[in-house]
Amino acid sequence: MSHLSSTLLVASLAAPLALLAACFVKNWRPRALALQWLAPAPGLAAGLLGLTAAPASFDLPGLGFTLRLDPPGALLLAAASLLWIVVTAAVWRERAPDERFGLSWLLTMAGSLGVFIAGDLVSFYLVYALVSIPAYGLFAFSDDAEKKRAGAIYMAFAILGEALLLLAFAALAAGEPHGSSRIADMMAALPASPWRDAILALIVAGFGMKMGLIPFNGWMPLNYAAAPIPAAAVLSGAGVKAGVIGLIRFLPLGVPLQGWGEALAALGFLTAIYGVLLGLTQQNPKTILAYSSISQMGVIAAALGMALGAGDISASGDVAFYAANHLLVKAALFLTIGALAMRGAPLGGWTLALAATLALSLAGLPFTGGALAKLASKAQFVSGWAASLATLSSIGTALLMTHFVARLDAPPPDAARECPSALVRFWPAVALGAILLPWLFFPAFGYVSKALEIAKIWEGLWPVLLGVGLALGLRRLGWTAPRVPAGDSIVLFEGAFTRLLALGPGFETLDARLRQWPAAGVSLLLIVLALLAAGVLG
Amino acid sequence: MMPPDPTTPGGALLVLAILLPCAGIILSFVLGGRNAERVALGLTPFGFALACAIAFHVASAGKPIVYALGGLAPPLGIALRADGVSAVMLVAAAVILTAAGFYARAKFATPEGGPESRSALTFWIMLQAIWAALTIIFVGGDLFNLYVALELLTFAAVPLVCIDGRPETLAAALRYLLFALFGSISYLLGVALFYGAYGTLDIPLLAQRVQSTPIVWLAAALMTGGLLAKTALFPLHLWLPPAHANAPAAASAVLSGLVVKGSFFLTLRLWFYVLPALSAAGAANILGALALAAIITGSVLALRQARLKLLIAYSTVAQIGYLFLVFPLATGAHVWSGIGWSAGVMQILAHAFAKAAMFLSAGLLAEALGHDQIARFAGAARALPMTFLTLGLGGLSLMGLPPSGGFSAKWLMLQASVASGQWVWTLPVLAGGLLAAGYVYRILTPALSEGDIMLKAPPKRSREAIALGLALIALALGFAPQGFFDLLEIGRPLAAGTLQ
Repeated sequence: MSHLSSTLLVASLAAPLALLAACFVKNWRPRALALQWLAPAPGLAAGLLGLTAAPASFDLPGLGFTLRLDPPGALLLAAASLLWIVVTAAVWRERAPDERFGLSWLLTMAGSLGVFIAGDLVSFYLVYALVSIPAYGLFAFSDDAEKKRAGAIYMAFAILGEALLLLAFAALAAGEPHGSSRIADMMAALPASPWRDAILALIVAGFGMKMGLIPFNGWMPLNYAAAPIPAAAVLSGAGVKAGVIGLIRFLPLGVPLQGWGEALAALGFLTAIYGVLLGLTQQNPKTILAYSSISQMGVIAAALGMALGAGDISASGDVAFYAANHLLVKAALFLTIGALAMRGAPLGGWTLALAATLALSLAGLPFTGGALAKLASKAQFVSGWAASLATLSSIGTALLMTHFVARLDAPPPDAARECPSALVRFWPAVALGAILLPWLFFPAFGYVSKALEIAKIWEGLWPVLLGVGLALGLRRLGWTAPRVPAGDSIVLFEGAFTRLLALGPGFETLDARLRQWPAAGVSLLLIVLALLAAGVLG
Repeated sequence: MMPPDPTTPGGALLVLAILLPCAGIILSFVLGGRNAERVALGLTPFGFALACAIAFHVASAGKPIVYALGGLAPPLGIALRADGVSAVMLVAAAVILTAAGFYARAKFATPEGGPESRSALTFWIMLQAIWAALTIIFVGGDLFNLYVALELLTFAAVPLVCIDGRPETLAAALRYLLFALFGSISYLLGVALFYGAYGTLDIPLLAQRVQSTPIVWLAAALMTGGLLAKTALFPLHLWLPPAHANAPAAASAVLSGLVVKGSFFLTLRLWFYVLPALSAAGAANILGALALAAIITGSVLALRQARLKLLIAYSTVAQIGYLFLVFPLATGAHVWSGIGWSAGVMQILAHAFAKAAMFLSAGLLAEALGHDQIARFAGAARALPMTFLTLGLGGLSLMGLPPSGGFSAKWLMLQASVASGQWVWTLPVLAGGLLAAGYVYRILTPALSEGDIMLKAPPKRSREAIALGLALIALALGFAPQGFFDLLEIGRPLAAGTLQ
């Protein structure tokens, strides 16, 4: 690894951490937080350099940490850095948020950039915790009951996901024969590990929670509805991709595992369709975008599942590209809600055209970045049921995005206040950037000319037209979807949690009984007898 | 007959480490008044330096350092021995006792020229007595010797619980004293059985002689039961929550962070140093099952407490459970035993520092707010940012999030569970982490939310810094290098995978 790129790689993580350290000095804190928009700059540079470079690792001396950059990670790092720079600069230009929010922002940013470059188990776990847990501070410190609920549910899933991954990682480490902690070495040893199936189940469940795969999708709509628009933009754009990179890193893509591949693909497609259907029942544009994220993460999981079944290691680049496109577009769509709410005027003319193009990029509208993303994912959905389901999900996405554009007229009440004015002014640039930037990145992963073939254009166009037509037709007919509360299945989890809480008093009674003198004496006697029996009989 | 156990270079340090706090106690008695505090605090740097010197000697020699009292080798004489774990525990105890001492200056100061107060004199003397007792426990090589140290530890800890003389603290202290005495009797019975059977109480000699006979198992069961009662392993925890929650903060930090570790340390000595030759899988599983029950019940009860100090005390009940997972995870001479051993020691250290930091913070909080009701914390984090940072960082370690010693401990425990095929122990490790996240969330969320709060008095910055320093050590443990884990292996009988 060249000196420059290793320096940049270290700086990608060191820059946000240095600002974090500066925050410990009270007088420096406001300045450090205001400067944090610069912190992702090394990450952006490292990502751009790494796009075309061979994968390389860099061991941090002394700490035992490894940083690693490969093209999939580099692409996501570059896209995420760009997003963080733009949104952070706009937010702090407007006015400095309170320190609690600023620190949470900085911590989340450090984790969000770190997950793409962490090369060993422990540092990955560390940065993954950073991107998950402090994000709580971006939306949940509030007296509003719904925000508190969203925060508690978010935290519960984040911590549960962490616990599952901790067990998976410990099993990975225990199964690695040479004592290495590099992720690459773990993956090489995984297919032969005696605990392979348990590890894979934990990996899929753990990262699936972060990505909102069913049945763990309910936190996401609540979270994005509760988060202010800039926070929703970075969380839906960059934050969720921690789950994607997790699956890319921790699925043994080089070895065909057909059963696991098909199961993951089925789960992914199910999530993709489920996200669209539930999204159609929503009225709040933020919630609709959350369901669209769920659906898109489903597509990504399906692509990875197909690759896992086929043993196709090259899929990681394709999936990363798909994810990077979603990263830019989804963030831009959240900013669109705020920007258009601030303009106030009814949608029309070029504004409508731009917003619709941006939204339909997710469905793979030709000439948008989404068309390229679709081209990249096509490699996994070549034929048969996978191809049909992928097309169905495109139609569904177009349908859902049309619903979203239609609902832009009724933004949530705070939308105009939440969005920084700089982003409102530059919204056309932001939207165009999200549509066009993927074209700049794509040559590192495939041939742009392929996306311009007539057959490919038609292949991309008709599902979008069908979806939009379907949406408009349903609207004309006056059909409205039934209303489902945001978070859908989350009420089941909440119910189960309440039942768990009801066990608490039982524990208190037990404790009160055991802490009586006679009970404690008997316990002591029983323990002595049990130990004696275990020794003598064993 | 084994060859005489000669004193090694550096062995005299062990004697000095014990004599120093003993001399301090006598001096404090004689000089009295303000001088008790001066002596106690003045000796802390020396105690810390001695602990570091011992650790340095053990690490550089690569084997335990030994001192035979009066030049007589066991079984005739008594030996002091410091291996890797003793050395690490000595340093940890020195740091925490020093921190607690300087933190307590504000509460137990004797005014210039004024008469000494009973509570101040008691506190400074008992603090040094705990130091002396712990030092003997960590370096003692003779089971009766260790019994004396254990008694000293109990009799020094009980007055700390009731130092301010309120009725509820007296009740708590009496509960503690009585149950600890039960434990002592049980332990002493076991010691007597060993002596009757083998004619020696020296640990290495016993380890060579013990056989799997009913007498040995009875002795081991009695000693273990006694030690569990003193360690407050669930369901023998009746005394711990009231005692730890009602003591002054500095005392709670020492009681929760160190004193329960003293009796736990002897449990380790018993099973891993006296009885390593016996196949103890059954006993280890019993201790593991108790650990599981402790982790779940302690954590759930911590979740349900209305007062911060009680919450932290119940969290100690759960964390003591984690300590005992070392038995199923490190017993025997398997490839994974070393991982389990490292995990167990890491858990002792991580909990000692994190819990001491949290109790000290809880004390500051209670003084600043005038109460420690969690429900009334709204806005408190803004008023006391450093105290809540400490609580948060300590909580991070309890939850087992990186980077922290708590994470390292759980990480190693999970690896040992998986590698040994004992998946069942992953359940308490993970569930305990989730529940800990729940009770840390319960403390931090109200504090971080909006609210106006009136401070009775802002805490002193230096006391906040002491607590934060301890929490930072708990985090720094997460970065422990391989050399640290190698040190822990020094002197462990089955470390090399074979019996010595």
